[in-house]
Amino acid sequence: MWSILSAEWFKLRKSKMVPIIFAGPIIGLFIGLTSNLESNTQDLDVNPWYISLFSMNLTYALLFLPLIAGVLASLICRYEHQSGGWKQLLALPVTRGKVFIAKYVLIMILMMAMQLLYLCSIFAVGMIKGYTDPLPMEIVWKSIIGGWVATLPLVALQLWMSIMFKSFAAPFAVNVIFTLPSILAINSKTIGPYYPWAQPFSMMYVGGNTDDVFFVPWDQLLTVVGGGFLLFFLGGYLYFQRKAV
Amino acid sequence: MIGKLLTSDFLKIKRKGLWFLTALGPIGVVALQMVNYGVRRDYLLEQSEDDWGYYLLNVHSFTPLAIILGIAILTSFIASIENETNAWKQLIALPVSKLTVYLSKFTVLAILLFLSSTILMLMTLAYGVYLDLGDSIPYMEIAKFAYYPYFAALPILALQLWIASVCHNQGIPITVGIFGVIFAYSSFVLPDWMIWKWPSLMNQWDEPVINVMLGISVGILLYIIGMIDFARRDVK
Repeated sequence: MWSILSAEWFKLRKSKMVPIIFAGPIIGLFIGLTSNLESNTQDLDVNPWYISLFSMNLTYALLFLPLIAGVLASLICRYEHQSGGWKQLLALPVTRGKVFIAKYVLIMILMMAMQLLYLCSIFAVGMIKGYTDPLPMEIVWKSIIGGWVATLPLVALQLWMSIMFKSFAAPFAVNVIFTLPSILAINSKTIGPYYPWAQPFSMMYVGGNTDDVFFVPWDQLLTVVGGGFLLFFLGGYLYFQRKAV
Repeated sequence: MIGKLLTSDFLKIKRKGLWFLTALGPIGVVALQMVNYGVRRDYLLEQSEDDWGYYLLNVHSFTPLAIILGIAILTSFIASIENETNAWKQLIALPVSKLTVYLSKFTVLAILLFLSSTILMLMTLAYGVYLDLGDSIPYMEIAKFAYYPYFAALPILALQLWIASVCHNQGIPITVGIFGVIFAYSSFVLPDWMIWKWPSLMNQWDEPVINVMLGISVGILLYIIGMIDFARRDVK
């Protein structure tokens, strides 16, 4: 298992993955520095970090995180789709299941790296704007880890789609079709909690109830994120077992 | 020559899902409003005296996002048709100039997007009439909200086609497209010179026509730059 992971890592390292990982913090910086919610909330007595986090997380979690997860998934299958790479890879003494799991694990590690870089950009925005209040660490960790957990099912579906289609555009189109409606879904109390693509937003939303481990209740986390993960991961896993290479 | 290239490009995009996506974009934009108005119709009708105007604004809140992502998807699709089988080489080896090859790709995309805008106009009108928003149907406004974003998005089309056709790794144009949609989503804070703001039809003079004019002129400029760069590059 370890050798498959390191082989995947070597292939990915040369796939122009670094600029894509840095897209996350760049977007974070951009939104953080351009948002001017402060001017409307000056007379309110709230920690300025919350205001920045609120506007940064909105765009980042709603659109960027689900979309970039799909790009990473396509990127990790790119070598195999070019000139019969699947044949060469699967001719090695590896099982298809392990290859699938290794690819999935590697994407999730990259997503974590991007979330941590995003955390750095939150710090940077605060430094540039000169916030004096202490950074609410607990809230930030909840939002960083929570956002990461919420992408588990999305990455599984995108990996499935990326293995199925040769081109980048087709899995991306699937991703867009599901991601855009979440802009409407988060406004609805009835659809929002059950829409998997809206989960990164709910998990990163800093205004929510802070007693739970994450910002969403456990049953919603388990059913929507956990259920979605099982469905998409098993779907992709079984599809890959039967795929003709 | 361009006629034959266009025919061959239209043949190449058959059965690849491009026509489907072209229709799905505008239908999806209106379908989101169908859900929106289906769930909370009474609330939305109370929001404004001008029901048609408010409805058009609601539709238009998704149009720029759909156009930008649609452009990223379609350009990447067109480029990967040639990339996947290393067909650029064979295509360029034919007795055609590289400039016309590029022009034909751009024309195909422009036609697909124009079709998208037309479907958007018809769907907006049809659902608006179904909602019974009032007797004075603003035909001109509906046409404006369908075609103005199209013309304002031409620079993005030129830019994305340029990046997609010169990059072998399609992850790069797709990531640029994601940046574009983030910019479009936060277009109210963007300065007026950013091309991703233009499809939202917002500017400091409150004159959507300026965005159309800018879109067409900068679109042509970016198209020429992209075409020249494409022609100068080696085909691998």
